[in-house]
Amino acid sequence: MSTVSTSLPLARELREICGAQHVVEDPAELGRLQVLGVVPAVMVEPATAQEVAAILHFAGERGLNIVPAGGFTQQQTGAVPPAIDVLLSTSRLTAIEHYDPGDLTVGVGAGWTVAQLAAKVAADGLLFACDPPLPERATIGGVLAAGINGPLRHGYGGLRDYCIGVRFVTGDGRKGKGGGQVVKNVAGYDLMKLLIGSWGTLAVITGASFKLFPAPRQTRTFIACFSTAAEALESRRRILRSPLDPACLELISPVAHKLLIPASPAGAGWSICVRAAGSDAVLARYRVELGSAIAHEMDGANESVFWQKVANFAPLASAQTNSLLISFAVTPQDVQPLLAILEEIAGKGFTLATVGRVGIGILLAALWPAAGHQPIASDFVTALSTLRSRLSKDSSMRILHCPAEARNAIAPLQTPTHLDSMRAIKRTLDPKDILNRGRFDF
Amino acid sequence: MNLSEVIHDLCIIAGRDAVLDRPEDLMLYEYDAGVRKSTPGAVVFPQNAQQVSQILRLAAAAKVPVVARGAGTGLSGGAISQAGGIVVAFSRMNRILEVDVENQRAVVQPGVVNLQLSEYVSHLGLYYAPDPSSQKACTIGGNVAENSGGPHTLLHGVTVNHVTGVEVVLPSGEIVQFGGKAEESYGYDLTGFFVGSEGTLGITTAITVKLLRKPEQVATLLAIFDSVDDAARTVSAITAAGITPAALEMLDGWTLRTIEAFCHAGYPLDAGAVLLIELEGLREAVEEEAAAVHEACLGQKAREVRRAKNEEERALLWKGRKQAFGALGRVSPSYYTQDGVVPRSKIPAVLRHIGDVSQKYGLIIGNVFHAGDGNLHPLILFDSRDAAQFERVLAASHDILQYCIDAGGSITGEHGVGIEKRDMMPHLFTEEELDIMISLRNVFNREERLNPEKLLPVPRMCREITGPSRNPVLAQEGM
Repeated sequence: MSTVSTSLPLARELREICGAQHVVEDPAELGRLQVLGVVPAVMVEPATAQEVAAILHFAGERGLNIVPAGGFTQQQTGAVPPAIDVLLSTSRLTAIEHYDPGDLTVGVGAGWTVAQLAAKVAADGLLFACDPPLPERATIGGVLAAGINGPLRHGYGGLRDYCIGVRFVTGDGRKGKGGGQVVKNVAGYDLMKLLIGSWGTLAVITGASFKLFPAPRQTRTFIACFSTAAEALESRRRILRSPLDPACLELISPVAHKLLIPASPAGAGWSICVRAAGSDAVLARYRVELGSAIAHEMDGANESVFWQKVANFAPLASAQTNSLLISFAVTPQDVQPLLAILEEIAGKGFTLATVGRVGIGILLAALWPAAGHQPIASDFVTALSTLRSRLSKDSSMRILHCPAEARNAIAPLQTPTHLDSMRAIKRTLDPKDILNRGRFDF
Repeated sequence: MNLSEVIHDLCIIAGRDAVLDRPEDLMLYEYDAGVRKSTPGAVVFPQNAQQVSQILRLAAAAKVPVVARGAGTGLSGGAISQAGGIVVAFSRMNRILEVDVENQRAVVQPGVVNLQLSEYVSHLGLYYAPDPSSQKACTIGGNVAENSGGPHTLLHGVTVNHVTGVEVVLPSGEIVQFGGKAEESYGYDLTGFFVGSEGTLGITTAITVKLLRKPEQVATLLAIFDSVDDAARTVSAITAAGITPAALEMLDGWTLRTIEAFCHAGYPLDAGAVLLIELEGLREAVEEEAAAVHEACLGQKAREVRRAKNEEERALLWKGRKQAFGALGRVSPSYYTQDGVVPRSKIPAVLRHIGDVSQKYGLIIGNVFHAGDGNLHPLILFDSRDAAQFERVLAASHDILQYCIDAGGSITGEHGVGIEKRDMMPHLFTEEELDIMISLRNVFNREERLNPEKLLPVPRMCREITGPSRNPVLAQEGM
């Protein structure tokens, strides 16, 4: 825990940089900004990349631990930080850096929320194809740092596909840039890729540019229900081999379904949810191709609300007592064996809920203690080591939420791609390890 | 270690028949498809990753630079060895190692020719989407180094959007795997970071790529305009209609007449510009979009909109586009291709500016480019024997690229920085931004053993040399 003695001169320095009204020392307010139970010593709200750089320079000299923060939707990830000397809020990085609807691109400060940006471009008939959980709170900087996606990941690609530029300040206080504001650009290293999903360990993202899409004029969602996961995945396979090109293709397990829609009748099976965009003729074609598998259709407000719930599966599942939430990226063919391993683990005293973009092999799985079971930290650790040992070599997994008592026993990144390179990059951009120290060690 | 000792060791590593060192053989490797030349000290043709690793260990010991090379079709000098170093050519690592139909992935060696992969999986209803104009010759390894594009990247994205994993040999000789077959790999996205690094971080020896399902329906339209301005405005009108074509290409009047004389693609001789527009997807969607595109073109004063009636007509329309560069070679001893990018709404203005530049410098400039994503390819004709004219060509290119930067664009959309545009990098990036890139290059390639003096400007600014590498792998190698 940080101490008052360091926070007082620290706050004075921060006030010099950002102005007194943008440095928060009030214990009551700071108490509401805790990360994994740790209350920050001070919060600062820089308004420019220049101010961010000044803060990081200063923090580097003092060896402070900085936690960058947006809307607090992904701050329950990682190990408990030893102390938070400064919580660096991106809430005032809200410039609009470039936007002309005719370009189908937009560039904004990291503090914009996803919902604000989506609404802004929707007014011009455009789609920002990013649908993370809690978009009213999730910020641009936050979704990039966490590498979070939602159901639209299936049809529109992920952040790594449509983020075309990034502005940031490295841990050693250098102001950097990758890409730019045009959709095609190979000048310099692709630093967007390096920062997306880096969990704020390399740099503080201050702004980003995105490719936008024409918003579909109408959409429709078709739900097909199956009694087993195998049948649902066979239906997915038929869709993938058909000419259909859905915006979303999501698998929802029976337990997840009950969690998302408590009013749904008991005994609902495994659902495959297909969201189509296009004219009446296109939607009619979906009906023909999907055939008798369709249990029901949704459109309008019902449809929007349904997909918001699907996108919000992660926070909902994390809110279960002692829940472990894992994100997997596997090949489409590995989804079924993965579900089998998860079911086997669940058999040892857990309830399992899964939701995922199974057309591209991205799956979220939540495990929490089944009624009457009291798993201890080591049970979660055992479950993860079972998973790791049985995943195929092409699979990847990371922990998005961990039960409190297991937090320091479970590494958030379970399958790092190449540790030596990752460590060398970390040391180059954040040599004093001031960004998110102790939370995402690998 | 002198060059002849290095060549001797290369022969031991890869075999005597896999090393070239005679001047007449080396001449074939002194150029790419751009305008620069430099003769390498030796060329070696490794047959596997282990040999590449041994070559890099040898180069480290001998302190000789190494440049990886695919088919040499690059336009920015990326595959040219400037300091008489070793060219590692991949024509013997050209096997398709695996096709995973269910997961729609292929694992290929870097020397596999781009189009060959699509042809190889065609009977499965699959193809590899990135399609540079040189796709009959260029290699996937080269595409990965340059993050190559092509006409169909408008809908499907560039190379990086289709690569999920790479096996890489680092300058130390260590063979590592980044990513794999899955859509994402958690941890730093080293695969994504590696693609487009122009051979300055490591050498790929195997690449995992996505294969797409062939669309059910394709519509190819040719819209004919009296003026470049009308065609340029149509690009915005199409996207404003909510349509993302698979490809949206523009050819100006001068270029299409030159092409027509060369290969009879059926382009109208008296047009100011044409748009070649391709739509693909579900039959119902394509038909509706084709009608909407037709209307958008007529709304911007298109004189005529033709649609290819069959595969043969479609192939003919594309043949003209893909052979544009060959056609220009017939009317001019040399041409210089630029690769600037502008935001889409700036296309009409930048084309007018290119017209002004052509007047100002007294040069013929043709335009054949990826209009849909604002990626220009002004082709400046010149005679390489006329040194004064070539100076004007460079000045004109610089002028065009500076305009692209000022319009919020970039100096390269798909050809790479290489040698050619490295000195323009400070116009696009600040010293501090470049310094970050240099420090990341140094993580992998501190000694600049791999592809020296490419991508980043020389002489380098504020280059930090702080003793041995902090990368444990490199440090172990004494770097």
